[in-house]
Amino acid sequence: MSRIDLSGLQKYAVLFILLALMALFSLASPYFLTARNLINIVTQNTYFIIVAVGLSFVMIGGGIDLSVGYQMSLVGVVTAMAMMVHHLPAWLAILIGIVLGTILGLINGLIVTSIRIFPLIATLATSAVFQGISYLVSKANTFRGYPEEFLFLTKGKVLGIPFDILLALLIAILVSIVYTETTFGYRLMALGGNEEAARLSGINTKRMKVSIYTICGFFTAIATMVMISKANTTNSSFGPGTEFIALTAAIVGGISFMGGEGNVLALAGGVFVLAVIGNGMQLAGWGTYAQYIVRGAILLGAVAFDEYQRSAKLTKQKRKG
Amino acid sequence: MSAEYVVEMKGICKRFGGVEALRNVDLELRRGEIMGIVGDNGAGKSTLMKVLSGAHMADEGEIYIDGHKVHIRNPLDAAHLGIGMIYQDLALFNNLDVSRNIFVGRELTRGPFGLFVDKKRMSDRASQLIRELRVDIKSPRMNVARMSGGQRQMVACARAIAFQSKVLIMDEPTAALGVTEASKLLGLIRNLKEMGLSILLITQRIPDVLAIADRVFVLKGGQRQDVLEVSRVTLDDVVTMIVKGKDRNGGPVPEVGHQSFG
Repeated sequence: MSRIDLSGLQKYAVLFILLALMALFSLASPYFLTARNLINIVTQNTYFIIVAVGLSFVMIGGGIDLSVGYQMSLVGVVTAMAMMVHHLPAWLAILIGIVLGTILGLINGLIVTSIRIFPLIATLATSAVFQGISYLVSKANTFRGYPEEFLFLTKGKVLGIPFDILLALLIAILVSIVYTETTFGYRLMALGGNEEAARLSGINTKRMKVSIYTICGFFTAIATMVMISKANTTNSSFGPGTEFIALTAAIVGGISFMGGEGNVLALAGGVFVLAVIGNGMQLAGWGTYAQYIVRGAILLGAVAFDEYQRSAKLTKQKRKG
Repeated sequence: MSAEYVVEMKGICKRFGGVEALRNVDLELRRGEIMGIVGDNGAGKSTLMKVLSGAHMADEGEIYIDGHKVHIRNPLDAAHLGIGMIYQDLALFNNLDVSRNIFVGRELTRGPFGLFVDKKRMSDRASQLIRELRVDIKSPRMNVARMSGGQRQMVACARAIAFQSKVLIMDEPTAALGVTEASKLLGLIRNLKEMGLSILLITQRIPDVLAIADRVFVLKGGQRQDVLEVSRVTLDDVVTMIVKGKDRNGGPVPEVGHQSFG
């Protein structure tokens, strides 16, 4: 049985898919390919990109974090309450939120490395814990109407560009450099490729794993700031669901479910593929519920493609070796 | 302490739960020699070598490198002492190219705090190593997932050489190779010896050992049996020692000097 090797193509496949989808939806709806709608798609997805970038650290390292959704829920209500209940200045509330998010990530990392259970289960468990704490803290209240300084995150402009777009772009470029140019990035790919070999090569794999969950928590918290600033309201139900989109986007963007691979451009492409599908289906009048089905199918398809690539590589290697 | 030996291990004991994998094992490796480590399955060959490479920590015993007592707690400690190990499963990264595989964990860096990798320097050094080792790997950019078993062994060797290892431990390097590739690899091991390395070669293939080793270290049931001079023994002698051990009556194994032969 011959398998076609598409690994070179896969890196850019997501960008072709994106273009194809855009062509499809511009035929389906006259409103799709308008400047206003396209700008909308970008601004509505800045926080998904930031979460996906955070999650990519964990996934490239061979792990997974299902708790990012409820991390956002908890960080969101704590930040909002700092401003609305305790009347703290916006900068301090943001600082508190980001420190909290980083600590939540650190907790995930410590649990995954010390109890040595599957990160899938570990973070599913912490997700439930974060959910409970979020509702206990917020007492199921909604907090809205934030100070102007906080709304600057999404309504403000720097050099004519919305602040959150600039922020997402900055993070994407920074992380891209981390992955391709730094010692940390190189070791992260090694960790995800073969954890035992990484350990035997003298890499402190445990410390590295703790750090990637912590980094994920840090970026998730930043994304939370953007999310609640954009909505100008939050409660404990804001955030959950993001993990599914970030995870799917990452896999669509070529970040292997098994770790060791990934680049930020394709990752952003993955986020926009999902965004365009959501937006296009909405405009074409196919409704929200159909979108869930499509998203589920995309996740399955992307994982299957990833598996196919992996086994194609292995078959090739066995045949030669 | 005489520094006649590049490695000396004394009274090494290692238990895994209730299983005694190594019992009071002594090993002396001369500078620039190839020593075969042989024994049946479960004799403790890999465990003994992993103690030296830092993958396992011994429960008891001492290790001397160049006559100096050392503490090897992890693979990085061993690497700093110039001990490199090539594992049976190769411990390579299928997702990375040759150059990156060679430098994992000890990247050549630039910038403050070694923050950035120096790709060019790593790639150049990798090409140079490939040339020095005279192996057939076309480019340091090649992905190791697409390589043959022999080529992968050579990447693993290059990795060990890159860090000026003076002692190289190889765990069953020829086990998964065809005849041609295996003989190429044995040639490479000889090259390494010429380059001044001391080599510990774990293997089940006794003819390989007789072909390239200077001495053979025989383990049985986690205990040292004997060290044989290759020039003075036959295949049968080695096999007999592996199967029956030093003391054929099953009594306690006597202390054996490192100069003895079978």
